[in-house]
Formats: sequence, structure tokens, C-alpha cells
Amino acid sequence: MTVIVNPDALAQKQIFLILASPGNIRERNIQIIKELSALGYHSAVITTNFPYSILKKLYEQSGVDLTKVSFVDAVTRNSIGSVENVPGVVRYINNPANLTDMGIAVTEMLKEHQGQKVCILYDSISTMLIYLSSPNISKFIHFVTNKLRLMDISGVFLAVEKGLDPMLMTQLTTFVDSVVDTG
Amino acid sequence: MTGQPNDNAACIEANFLDNALVMIAVLEKEGKIVSWNHAAEAITGYSYDEVVGKTTVWKQLYPDKDYRDSVTAKIASILSTKNYFENLETIIRTRSGDSRIILWNTKKITNMGLPRTISVGLDVTEQRRADQFRESVIDNANILIAVLDKGKVIVWNKAAETITGYSRDDVIGKRDIWKWLYPDAEYRNTVTRQIMDILTKNLFFENLETTIVTKSGEKKIIAWNTRQIANGKAQQDIAIGRDITERKRAEEALLSYMTEMAMRLKGPIEIIRNNLQDVAALVRNGKLELDDMAIVLDSQVRNANQIAQNVIEFQRAVTEKNKDIPEAYRKFLEGE
Repeated sequence: MTVIVNPDALAQKQIFLILASPGNIRERNIQIIKELSALGYHSAVITTNFPYSILKKLYEQSGVDLTKVSFVDAVTRNSIGSVENVPGVVRYINNPANLTDMGIAVTEMLKEHQGQKVCILYDSISTMLIYLSSPNISKFIHFVTNKLRLMDISGVFLAVEKGLDPMLMTQLTTFVDSVVDTG
Repeated sequence: MTGQPNDNAACIEANFLDNALVMIAVLEKEGKIVSWNHAAEAITGYSYDEVVGKTTVWKQLYPDKDYRDSVTAKIASILSTKNYFENLETIIRTRSGDSRIILWNTKKITNMGLPRTISVGLDVTEQRRADQFRESVIDNANILIAVLDKGKVIVWNKAAETITGYSRDDVIGKRDIWKWLYPDAEYRNTVTRQIMDILTKNLFFENLETTIVTKSGEKKIIAWNTRQIANGKAQQDIAIGRDITERKRAEEALLSYMTEMAMRLKGPIEIIRNNLQDVAALVRNGKLELDDMAIVLDSQVRNANQIAQNVIEFQRAVTEKNKDIPEAYRKFLEGE
């Protein structure tokens, strides 16, 4: 299977926008996590799509070492209400549209893994489009990519291919180092 | 036309014009009427018998003393430098009380040693009214209208002033307006090239869109149409410009809304579909517990609700931005 995230570029703390067809996006998520784990990275997954409980199972089934993955889950608390954070493993936020809480959760999660090789996986920009307008998404991604560069951390943003309008696509392209269309 | 016996020569000369559609009056010194043609009778309503041998008709034609004095002063002023006048325009009051605009030309002659003045009055009332109507239409049109004579602006209507910010005084008789409207030399050259390209194929252009810079520095998009018009021997160009700035902005906003709407519908719905397919597959394989399944289904319901809400917001935004949408469509889009 072709490598999605170039290890050299990853080592240079680059930021990627990975495009996948709707039917493949889950598979790409898992494949990227496996690649990151194999390269010794701790993956910080921000999920606005599938809840932590299911992603955890899918990763386990795919042979991912879950000690090398932690989560910010924007789905579960919105469905079942109160659920406690598990330090070092999962942090829950109430709503995918609450970018302040999301920013805080990501910052705290990164602190927990200070000193490690960390890469953020953001799944997905397309789901965020349900809750946020494209200008707000663009601002948020700009904020996150700036933060990653300041903290010298690499990152991967997942999005459905052909699902972003040319304006948003152009903006995102300027924020990341490379765009990979995996089909 | 009939004249006194000793004014035969003047009368003969005037007879040539007796059937003309212009007033002809032959005057003695001090304005006494010697001759009065049929057209003069028809236009003024005063007959030959009523006016000949008298000067009273002038008071009747100019009953307002102030106006009469002003006309007299004007004539005196002209005659102080030359012994005739050309195209002097006055307004007379006819016997029936109507006002007529007369364009006067005079010629002094000597007949049998007697000084006489032949006054020829052309009734230009209808022409002036037509001119005024045309000027009024041009001036009150809601589109920029400029008439150019070899590039020099000779007509610049109110809409042109409103749209560009440049007044008639700024532009009439000058060629500079285009430099002001297109201050960027490169863009001006591009527009000029475009116009020249079109004009080499046609003598006019239609709906050529350009961006002008107004006097206040605002940018406006204008759709231009031109025609060449013949005015006597002169060839003039009429440029008609429609300010389509708002329409363009609305179109761009609409396109932007439509694109955003498509993006925020297509991708998310595909994600919901695939999430549900994944859940179905996991359930079939016995890999999903009931609680997990409920969480995923809840989240997809929430996603679907949010998408429906987004669509309503888009509908409202589109109708707000586009006031020209027909009422029935507006109500539908507003969810009424």
C-alpha cells in the first residue's frame, strides 16, 4: 500500500491536507494512524465524526497500538450528555462548533505529550462544514496550523475530496505544506 | 402679402416668401408694420388689417412689460454693433393666449430711399418642445448618457453625474473624463484595446462591462452600449452606461451562497451516508454494542438536523441578498 504521509516531510514537521473519497475516508484515517505509529509518533486524533468508543475499536481491529493514540472527541458528549475525560487518553467537548473548547482540549492534550513526537490528525474538515461556515473553518484551521508551527508539531487534516469549494480549498492549501489526494 | 404702393420692392421681395411657413414682417423705422404675411397672421392670430400701419402688435405679442423691455434692450444692443440680427429667440403671446417660440432674423433694406427692415420669424415652438422633451428624457434617464464629438463630451446627463460624481461642468467640452474614470493606465489601455477590437468589427458595442473609479474613489461596474449618430455632417458617439455594480455584487453573493450551500450539503450528507453504512457493517459483524450504535445514530440525527437548519439559513440569506426574487419563490425560500 502506498504511503500517505511522507516520513521525511513529517520529520520536517510539515502539515498535510489529505483528501479521500467519502467511502475511503475512514480507511485513510486508520492507515494514517498506523503509519504515524510505525514512525514512532504519538497521534492526537480530533474527531468530529465517529465517537472515540468506536474509533478505538476500529483502531484495535486494525492492530493500532492505542497507547500511541489519544483523542479529542466532539461527538459523544453531544449524544449522551455527561461523560468524563480520561487524562492522556480522551478529552470530550460538547459540540464540534465550540472551537474555543476544542482549542483548549487540543492544547491540553499536546501538553500531556510534551517531549514526544506528536502528530495531530483532524478528522474531518468535511464534518466541520455541518457546524461551521467555510470562513469560520478557514479561520480555525489557520489558527491551528499557526499553533502547530509555533509548537513545532506536524499535523494532518482529513477532508472529503471534491467536497471543498475552490475558495476554501485555496485558503487551506496556503495554510498547509502539501495536499495529498488519495482518492 | 400685400404692401403699400411705395413699398413695392420690399413687398415683391417679401412675396416670394408669402407662402412660406415663416412669419415675415416688413417694418418702417420705429417698428411700424408695413407688411404682414399669411404665416404671420396664422402664427400670431393677428390679421394684416389689424397690424399694418401700427406698432401696437408688438405690445400684443409681448404683453409682459418687463419681458418686452428685455427683448427691446436685447435688440438695441445687437443693433448697436450691426444693422441686423440672427437667430434671436423670443417668446410671443398669440391672440388666443398661446405662447410660441420665434427665432428671428432681420435684414435692413432701403426701398425708394426709405429704410425698411424685413423681419423673418421662424416658429420653433414644436422643435423646442421636442428638444426639451428629448433633453428631459436624456437628463432624467436612469442610465448614464454621454454624447461625444470626436471624443469631446457634449452631453452628460444627471445619471452620469450621479454615477461618476463628475458634474457637467467637470466634463463638458473636455476629453479627460476617461482618464479620470480609468485612472489606472494599464487597465485603461486594456479597455481601449477591447473597445478598438470591437469597433473594428462593428460600429458599436453592447454590454461591454468595465470598472470605473468615481470621483470619490468608489469602484463601480458599468455595462456600456454605444451607437454612432449622425448630427448633420458630424459623426458623434452616444455612450450609454448602466450601473450594474449592485447586480454584480448580488450575483457574486448568490454564487458564493450557492457554492457554500452545495459544499455544506454534499460532503456532509455523503459522510452521514458512509457513517450509517459503517455502522450497519459493524452491527452485521457483531462488532458494535448497542450503546455505541446509539451514539453514532444520535450524532447522525444531530448532523442531519444541523444540515436542515443550514439549508433554512441559506434560503433566508439568498432571499435577503436578492430582492428581485419573485414573491412565490421568496415565500418558498423563506419557508412560509
